[in-house]
Amino acid sequence: MNRRKRMLNDLDQDIRDHIELETQDNVARGMSPEEARYAALRKFGNVTRVQEETRVVWSSGWLEQLLQDIRLGLRVLPKSPGFTAVAILTLALGIGANTAIFSVINGVLLSPLPYKDPKQLVIIREHESLPNVMDILRQTRAFSQGGGINVEKMDYIGPTEPVHIRVGSINAGFLETLGVQPMLGRIISPGEDVQGGPRLATVSNHFWQNYLGSDPHALGNTIQLGGNSYTVIGVMPASFAPPAEHADVFVSLMARDPRSGAERDLHFMHTYWRLKEGVTLVQAQADMAAIDHRLAEQYPAEEKERKSQLIPLHEWLVGNVRSALLVLFGAVGLVLLIACANFASLLMMRAVAGRQELVIRAALGAGRGRLIRKTLTESLLLSVFGGAAGLLFAKWGTSLLLALRPEELARLSGIHMDTRVLLFVLVVSVLTGIVFGMAPAWIAAGADVAEALKKSGRSTTASTMGHSIRKILVTSELAVALVLLVGAGLLIKGFSRLRSMNPGFNSANVMTMYLQLPKTRYGEIPKQTQFRRELLTRLNSLPGVQAAMVTDIPLGGNYVGHHFVIDGRAPVAVGGEPKVQTLSVMGDYFHVMQIPLRAGRDFTPLDREEQPLVAVVNEEMVREFLPHENPIGARIRWAGDAGPPQWMTIIGVVADVKHLGLNQPTDPAVYTPFSQSDEAWRRFMTLAIRAQDTSAGLVEEVKRQIWSLDSQIPVSDVHTMDELIAVSLAQQRFNMLLLGLFAALALILAAVGIYGAMAYAVNQRTHEIGIRTALGAQRRDVLRLVMRDGVKIALFGIASGIAGALALTRLMASLLFEVKATDPATFAGVAILLALVALAACYIPARRATRVDPMVALRYE
Amino acid sequence: MSTKEEKQRIELLQGTLDLLILRTLLLGPAHGHAIAKAIEFRSDDVLQVEQGSLYPALHRLIKRGWISVKEGTSENNRRAKFYGLTAKGKRQLVVETSKWDQLAVAIARILRPAEPRAPQEGKP
Repeated sequence: MNRRKRMLNDLDQDIRDHIELETQDNVARGMSPEEARYAALRKFGNVTRVQEETRVVWSSGWLEQLLQDIRLGLRVLPKSPGFTAVAILTLALGIGANTAIFSVINGVLLSPLPYKDPKQLVIIREHESLPNVMDILRQTRAFSQGGGINVEKMDYIGPTEPVHIRVGSINAGFLETLGVQPMLGRIISPGEDVQGGPRLATVSNHFWQNYLGSDPHALGNTIQLGGNSYTVIGVMPASFAPPAEHADVFVSLMARDPRSGAERDLHFMHTYWRLKEGVTLVQAQADMAAIDHRLAEQYPAEEKERKSQLIPLHEWLVGNVRSALLVLFGAVGLVLLIACANFASLLMMRAVAGRQELVIRAALGAGRGRLIRKTLTESLLLSVFGGAAGLLFAKWGTSLLLALRPEELARLSGIHMDTRVLLFVLVVSVLTGIVFGMAPAWIAAGADVAEALKKSGRSTTASTMGHSIRKILVTSELAVALVLLVGAGLLIKGFSRLRSMNPGFNSANVMTMYLQLPKTRYGEIPKQTQFRRELLTRLNSLPGVQAAMVTDIPLGGNYVGHHFVIDGRAPVAVGGEPKVQTLSVMGDYFHVMQIPLRAGRDFTPLDREEQPLVAVVNEEMVREFLPHENPIGARIRWAGDAGPPQWMTIIGVVADVKHLGLNQPTDPAVYTPFSQSDEAWRRFMTLAIRAQDTSAGLVEEVKRQIWSLDSQIPVSDVHTMDELIAVSLAQQRFNMLLLGLFAALALILAAVGIYGAMAYAVNQRTHEIGIRTALGAQRRDVLRLVMRDGVKIALFGIASGIAGALALTRLMASLLFEVKATDPATFAGVAILLALVALAACYIPARRATRVDPMVALRYE
Repeated sequence: MSTKEEKQRIELLQGTLDLLILRTLLLGPAHGHAIAKAIEFRSDDVLQVEQGSLYPALHRLIKRGWISVKEGTSENNRRAKFYGLTAKGKRQLVVETSKWDQLAVAIARILRPAEPRAPQEGKP
């Protein structure tokens, strides 16, 4: 390296000496000194090229030249800080937004699930009972393993206050199927997973850290769950969580609750199955259908309508969010396209502006390839810097996404910048640099040297070609921006529709919390009723507080369905009866929630145990099952009850409530008094408390009242009703916010693009405008002249954008709520918005054009 | 002017120029201008080397270790670089010369197949 430097340093001197000697020789031959020097120079040839070629001898080839180009670029770029900053920022926004979305897609859609051979895992869509799970395992020829889980909240007397923890009741096959090894100890073995088996618990890492103090010797400890002691036999690793459930502790269902474990029609386990090696989903589905058939024949009362549907686990987990994520990825890809178009346009302007330099370099013997490479290196440098800055944006954007994430994107917790994301950024940046730097580089280097020098670089073919390419770029930017704006507009409209949906109750000033009575002390209904009644009496005596309770609160995500029979109708086959949502209430529930009464009467304190059974139904129930009669006074009963029929009389009809989500249809529902319930297992309830002030003070007061009745009852899921609504809208809000953000980004970038193009065009035409003004053109004429170009571009861009949007928004139909993908109002509104922005972006340079002083303009250059 | 064409010409001349430089330096070290003059003089001015192209070639030979460079004083008492053959260069000259001879004979055979002894006759 040193020698190379020395050699090259001396080269200039050597060449000078050589020419000097040759000149002297020529003088000696009788030439005049001037002639002699000229002849010597001519004989020597192109000095620059000699130097260049000698340097090439010492360079180690393309890498060296690349480094040289990069060094040159690094030196040149800071000299035009405005251009460099705008170019890098533009790309950083585009690449950053893409990277953020890509890291979500990478984490949610692309990364394999954290289980052993996750591709073999499938689920059965329908819930199963434990006896069915065991039968399927015995009969199957398609599954190698399988298991189910049901998560219940149980009270755990923690170190400070009683808490609810989530207990996953499983069979031994559940953890085996997922194939994750415990971090400490072991999992429950099949031999222990039997009736009368020992009460053992495998705990989650979270539980181990929070309640067992991360004690490595915690194995063998006993923990009190729901009034029973369990021995801790294992701790799962921190990375483990069941695919869809959140559970702190895993216990054997058979050992915990032999009775419910033995009931065939208690379909409450969610099941996971591992396909045998080489078995396809289709084969497994066929095998499952055969098993369904056998079970239905064997147990007609419970299993008559079996139809188990197998779904690959991954598909089941991400199916809901896939379309949303892909639409967002498409959208953010369009943002990148706009950013790239701006970038190319910037490069093109710079290339045309810097042509003089390139022309001179070409005249001095720089090869065309070398010139292209130089320009390309510059654009690559910019795009790589843009990518690096984009990574920062992406890091910030990803945490924003995580903050906004809806429940469905639960796997988002696994999102981080892994090598795949970094590779994505690298590929995108380099491709951007090459693809969008190529055209400007080509145009710049395509200069015809002689021509260019003659015309001194103004309005050459290359620059007019650049100009028309720029027009195309800006037009497509506007078109793409319009597509994004339409998409965002549709989502916003759908969301506002959704927002303004009447949930059927008044969510303001309502606080909710979940309670569950321990089975050991509240196993019988009278004890439960006594607690409930006493609690409500105490709460309602608080000033300004109205309290009631319901089994499952609307938008809480749960409800229990029952088959039922209507009095006086033809009998229906067992298992084929219609199903309704069943809710038990106590207190003035409809009044607290402000659910309007449509007919009949509300429950009164007299509708209690030992009194005639009563029920209130919703309007949907009447529409669906009692459309042509007066529902008040009709009688219904639950199907499958043993003993004499327990008829309930319908006493009232209330308005429909959106129980499962504002965008979900309302199910028929039957409300009954808690005190008339005969289902002792419904030991849970959600308090609904209306008060002026639903702050933490109220929550503390309510907890005090609960614990003054029973100090060991855990309280959980404390939410206001407004929060529950917000949570239920999270996915839609997520989509809308992101697409809105992208559309705003697109709008800004497109505005910058059209502004830049117009400003540049005005700049190029200063001379022409000066002449026109000198010849008497009015400001208005000049304005019209300049605006005409911009308006043409804008109109063309908007027209092609509308065509593109019509084709593309169809893809997002599944994300829209009560809005057509071709909603004319949205299209029109968006087109007008974009036109106004484009006009404003044109107007600023156009107005500057009108201020051109003809004298200055004519002297220009 | 088209750079493409020129490049081809330089490449064509490359090996030849190297050989001529090595042969010239066999007589003793010389500085750049002297090498150019010697090649022109000894070829009876038939080979009009563009003198500049000497320098990339010299540097190439230095890099390969076939010639070395020393500071010295030129005939008009100026500091100049003197290029001289290294042992490796001498060996290379032998190799290159025999290659060149083979090439020349082979090409001559192709160009004048009917007169296989023409080269001998041509130089009485």
